[in-house]
Amino acid sequence: MKRIASKNLAGFCAAALLVHLFVLPGVVSSQEEMASALQRYKDQEASTGYYEQSEVMPRNQRPLIEIPSIRRGALPYSPTAAQVRIRTRLVDSHLGIKFYEVLRCNYCHAEQTKDIHTVRGNLTCRQCHGGEPISGIANFYSPLNPIRRHAYVCAKCHEGASVSFAAYVIHQPAAGSSISRNDFPALYYSYWLMFILLVGTMAFFIPHTFLVGLRELIAKMRKKKHGADNTH
Amino acid sequence: MAPITRIRRFSPLDRLFHLFLMLTFLIQAATGFSRLYITTSWGKNINTLFGGYETSILIHKWVGVFMIIGFLIHTFYLLIRINWKNLTKSILGPDSLVLNFQDGRQLWQRILWFFGMGSPPKFDRWTYFEKFDYWAVYWGMPLLAVTGLMAMFPLTTSRIVPGWFLNIAVLLHRAEALLAVSYIFIVHFFIGHFRPSSFPMNESMFSGSISLEEAMEERPAWIERLKKEGRLEHARATPPVLWYRVLYFVYGYTALTFGIYLLVNGIANSHAISLH
Repeated sequence: MKRIASKNLAGFCAAALLVHLFVLPGVVSSQEEMASALQRYKDQEASTGYYEQSEVMPRNQRPLIEIPSIRRGALPYSPTAAQVRIRTRLVDSHLGIKFYEVLRCNYCHAEQTKDIHTVRGNLTCRQCHGGEPISGIANFYSPLNPIRRHAYVCAKCHEGASVSFAAYVIHQPAAGSSISRNDFPALYYSYWLMFILLVGTMAFFIPHTFLVGLRELIAKMRKKKHGADNTH
Repeated sequence: MAPITRIRRFSPLDRLFHLFLMLTFLIQAATGFSRLYITTSWGKNINTLFGGYETSILIHKWVGVFMIIGFLIHTFYLLIRINWKNLTKSILGPDSLVLNFQDGRQLWQRILWFFGMGSPPKFDRWTYFEKFDYWAVYWGMPLLAVTGLMAMFPLTTSRIVPGWFLNIAVLLHRAEALLAVSYIFIVHFFIGHFRPSSFPMNESMFSGSISLEEAMEERPAWIERLKKEGRLEHARATPPVLWYRVLYFVYGYTALTFGIYLLVNGIANSHAISLH
């Protein structure tokens, strides 16, 4: 009786093991990078976007560095302001959007996919903008709020990122556009300065070069004709 | 004493600087383009030439640093060459590369000559477009060097200036690179290779000398001045040996072909790139 019971138990264990191996999904310790950067769905994203204090290391912080456009009293940047990790306080920007779960980010935010981090760094939107609920970056509790962006997002890849580093504009507007004129005038005027320089230089030198060639050709032909006449 | 047939235009050091600039410029242009055009199939092809996307930027950064060092060495050499005791003569004299009022006059004279309204200007040692070509590097190199270094060390840069300066740095680096590349591959190559007086190749920057006849035709004021100052004999040069000529012809034409290849494909694929 005991031997039959142990045999049955062994059989049951073997069957259970086989079910675990072939039917149920395996446990993986790391996520795979997906080749198509923008075709990720909400259910496949496991990271919440929040990282432990020890995992990000913004070093050499300068206490008097100002965060652009944020003025918070006498001391513009308070280190303790960054230590907020209450996900329940995040406001869901995508509340009420129909079929949100099956949509891709670029369905609505196509313009925001043309930046260097996406095109060349092969980053997905969610790697920075985190897990659900996704709030606007101005929300106090958002990991992308300028007061903590450098630590919670930038330093994930750029170890040592400072507040100033996070002032780099990822979703840069088209440099020559009117949007950039309002939001990023330094970029706008740099672009148009370089454009004028390029076009101006070429507009002078290409005709000049062409005329040099033409005139020298004429001179050469005249000399040849003149030389031919001389031999007679 | 045999009559002078060739006179020296460029010293061996001048030619070495030019050679260095040629090599580094072409490598930077090629690796830069292979990164800029990575989203196109042509870009991917040149990338394999340089060992891939990551290796391209590695080469670009290292050669960039060498270029900066070369630029600083050249600037140092320039400062040594200036006759500090006789500063105005050294800087504004006819042997100087500094643009002066005479160049403006010669430009205007030349424009009139283009349209058949006058005789060609009598150039001295350096023509206005050669001076421009020289100083254009002094504009382009510092701009590319500074923006390049900013992009290479973003963390350090953002500790000194606000991070949004990096957005502008990348834009300026790409724009200035495109300006330099188009100027060199269109204008400079034409002056050096395709214009009738230089065709098939202007050898003076490689051999270091030009024939006296050619010099009298293009730069009569210089020859006059050398004769008047009794320095013509000192500028005597021997023609280059055949193997050296073959060598620099092959080298020059390789560089030319590569440059034109980059230019043509760059223009053809220009729809796929942006400056930021």
